[in-house]
Amino acid sequence: MESIFNGIGKFGPAGLVLQAILVSLLGIFLLVGFIVLRRWYRGRYFRRRNERTVALRAQWDEILSGKISAEDWRFNPLDCDIVESILLDSIEMSPADKLSPLLNCLRVSGLLDMRIYQARTSRGWKQRTALLTLGRTRAMEAIPALVEGLDSRLRETRIAAVRGLGRTARMEAAIPILDRIVIGQFDAPERSLKNALVNCCRTCPEILVTYIEHTHGPVRVLLARVLGELASPELGEELLVLAADPLPEVRASAARALGNTNTSYTLPALHSLASDAEWFVRLRAVVALGQIENLGKINILLRALCDANRHVRQRAAWALAQMEPHIEQILEDVVATKDDYALQALVSELERSGAIEKFVGGLDGSDHQSAQTALMEVVAEARKRVELTGKAMAAAAAGAH
Amino acid sequence: MHFLAISNDTLFVYYVVSNVIYLGLLIVAIVKNVRHRHRLGSQRLELVRASPFTPPITLIVPAHNEERSIVSSVGALLGLEYPSLEVIVVNDGSSDATVENLRQAYQLQTARILYIADITTAPLHAIYRSPLDPRLFVLDKEAAGCKADAINAGINAASSPYICVVDADSILEKESLIRIMAGVFADPGRVMAVGGIVRVLNGSRVVNNQIEEVRLPKSPIEVMQVIEYLRAFLVGREGWAGFNMLPIISGAFGVFQRDLVMQVGGFRTHAVGEDLDLVIRMHRRLQEQGRSYHIDFIPDPTCWTEVPTDLKSLARQRARWHKGLIDTLWPNRDMLFRARYGRVGWLVLPYMWIFEFFAPVIEVVGYSTIVLALITGVLSKSFFLQFLLFGYAFATLISIGSVLLEEMTFRRYSNWREVARLLIYCFFEHFPYRQLTMIWRLQGIWQYLRGDLQWGQMKRVGISTNPAA
Repeated sequence: MESIFNGIGKFGPAGLVLQAILVSLLGIFLLVGFIVLRRWYRGRYFRRRNERTVALRAQWDEILSGKISAEDWRFNPLDCDIVESILLDSIEMSPADKLSPLLNCLRVSGLLDMRIYQARTSRGWKQRTALLTLGRTRAMEAIPALVEGLDSRLRETRIAAVRGLGRTARMEAAIPILDRIVIGQFDAPERSLKNALVNCCRTCPEILVTYIEHTHGPVRVLLARVLGELASPELGEELLVLAADPLPEVRASAARALGNTNTSYTLPALHSLASDAEWFVRLRAVVALGQIENLGKINILLRALCDANRHVRQRAAWALAQMEPHIEQILEDVVATKDDYALQALVSELERSGAIEKFVGGLDGSDHQSAQTALMEVVAEARKRVELTGKAMAAAAAGAH
Repeated sequence: MHFLAISNDTLFVYYVVSNVIYLGLLIVAIVKNVRHRHRLGSQRLELVRASPFTPPITLIVPAHNEERSIVSSVGALLGLEYPSLEVIVVNDGSSDATVENLRQAYQLQTARILYIADITTAPLHAIYRSPLDPRLFVLDKEAAGCKADAINAGINAASSPYICVVDADSILEKESLIRIMAGVFADPGRVMAVGGIVRVLNGSRVVNNQIEEVRLPKSPIEVMQVIEYLRAFLVGREGWAGFNMLPIISGAFGVFQRDLVMQVGGFRTHAVGEDLDLVIRMHRRLQEQGRSYHIDFIPDPTCWTEVPTDLKSLARQRARWHKGLIDTLWPNRDMLFRARYGRVGWLVLPYMWIFEFFAPVIEVVGYSTIVLALITGVLSKSFFLQFLLFGYAFATLISIGSVLLEEMTFRRYSNWREVARLLIYCFFEHFPYRQLTMIWRLQGIWQYLRGDLQWGQMKRVGISTNPAA
């Protein structure tokens, strides 16, 4: 049998291997050359960019007021890029009442129109960059071009449009997104949608309630989750309707939203949600209870401290541990429940926050020495029992493993 | 003669196929990298930071005899930019002052927090918390002789839906967690795990637990590892992830869905390569469930780690890595060429068997038979030289390709001298460095067959006492 080597070798110096060597060496030469040239080019570019940035910054007020005509910088790509990035950064950092001269400069110079044109006619990354840039302008006239991006057949472009609309932080930008979500055929990452809606609906969360009423399933959950972040006391009884929603995720979001309100109905609603069948709804309710200022929450939290779910217990303990002036009474009430896990959760939380030392120190100086000793003995005993149970559970888990 | 001819042919085909695969990975990696950079342009990290929808994450730091670097490492981890972070250091029965140093630096106090071992681990001595920073917990456990057991203890104690395992002797860049989680945010329902890049810390200047200036190390053995890491991560992992077939997420830096890790029983105790083992078991589980999933690699979140500075430590590390490879491939051999394991069973695992596990054996046999064929005249001298030159030039091309990827993306080595050094060392990676690693990998096979599964000690300089610092 003839070896492949000899077969190829027959071709002599012009053989495949020799060609491969040459191609490889050429590849090495090209790669090294590319790296060197690229470094040199980038070094030169950034040097020039720095120089031009300093020069344009020095003339910034004139550029903004139009004393220096846009024609002077608009047709130089580097200058145009620098001015646009300075403008966009300033727009992002400026309050709404200071936006006017910045937006005016974008409009008068034609930068805004250029980006709108690119968003509508370009394809690929250029279009996506234009969409995101339009979002950063926060200009009303950018919204229609961004909305067109929502209907692109390319997912990346749709995501860029969602992000762009989110960055405008305008309620008008939320509506096209919401309209498409409600139909249920809009494919974009949930996180991008939620972030965009949070930004756009911040000043007007009521709009979400209207849409939630007309949606079902995952879309309803998504909108409720956004509402959970934005809810304000103005939402009023609409939150109560959501708190009674058949979907547990919506109830959890309602609980989260209720944490931002402190009205007459907040506590009863959270009381009801803290007894929900789903543990994560109870958890959200307990977290919300921790946020509101109302002594009536203590009893609800004490019940949550005996919850079957450890996350709920932990959060309830966390919320109770924050109520320092009432901690002595709370601890006595917890001991009275005879629930070792509840006691353990509370003591752990007091230890975690450092309140236990203060509490024990306070007891030492008071007149009820015997009561305090007894209380601490109960705590120690409960802790021991819980640790033993924990070890037994671990041993059982090890056995099962 | 006949045997020599077959052997030479086999080696020729083997070498060409392995390099063509790597060239394919390089091309895919370049494309994926460019797309990632475009995508990054549309994500502003401060928005991720401020978003209420950013999920919490638990950093698990297994530590065994890390007294020199543990305090600075934990300091760096607590300083990471991420809105909801928990750091769990698991002291795996250190015989040095690891816990003591942490206790002093962070005023640790015993916390009697209930701990339930969903994944069985060696018993815990204590759980400590830091009043200075409530995000820090330290689990002090009995030594189990393996990193996996320590990580499992951390997973049991973790309270976040995502866990990130970080080596105690490593430094994460400030934005690395946000950047790595960007991979998860892209599609939280499908992305089960994400790996970041691990880079060589040796030689760089570290100030306040952060990399102040990235420099190449001085010694050739360390620079070789820089190139090796660049090639392995920016070409290998990026390429495999591009095909959605990433077989490994580095134990030094990776994010995993906690529930999935729990489902597969956590990290396998006493696995020599616990990171590779976990990812393969995750693939197995997800393929068996018929789920649509993605295990990704993101090239910009960076973890800096110390690499061996002497040949002895490097030899031990490479032997261990190879033992880890066998230790994972053998128990999972039933996945090979099975339809239910899809691309993992048909492509990744066969690749790992043939081009990773058997590579040192095939190369040693190949080199021997080529020389023998040359002596006996089966192979012409000119062709022998041509073949050697081709193999060398092609492999060097791939190494330079990885430096190009570094240049196109992150340009951490900023001055010309460093880049020139990197490029020059690329020409030495495949001779003689590759042959050395081949010997070490053979040692790994031998040790595994003998039943020696020890990790071995690595000589460390320590981050805070880094000579360049």
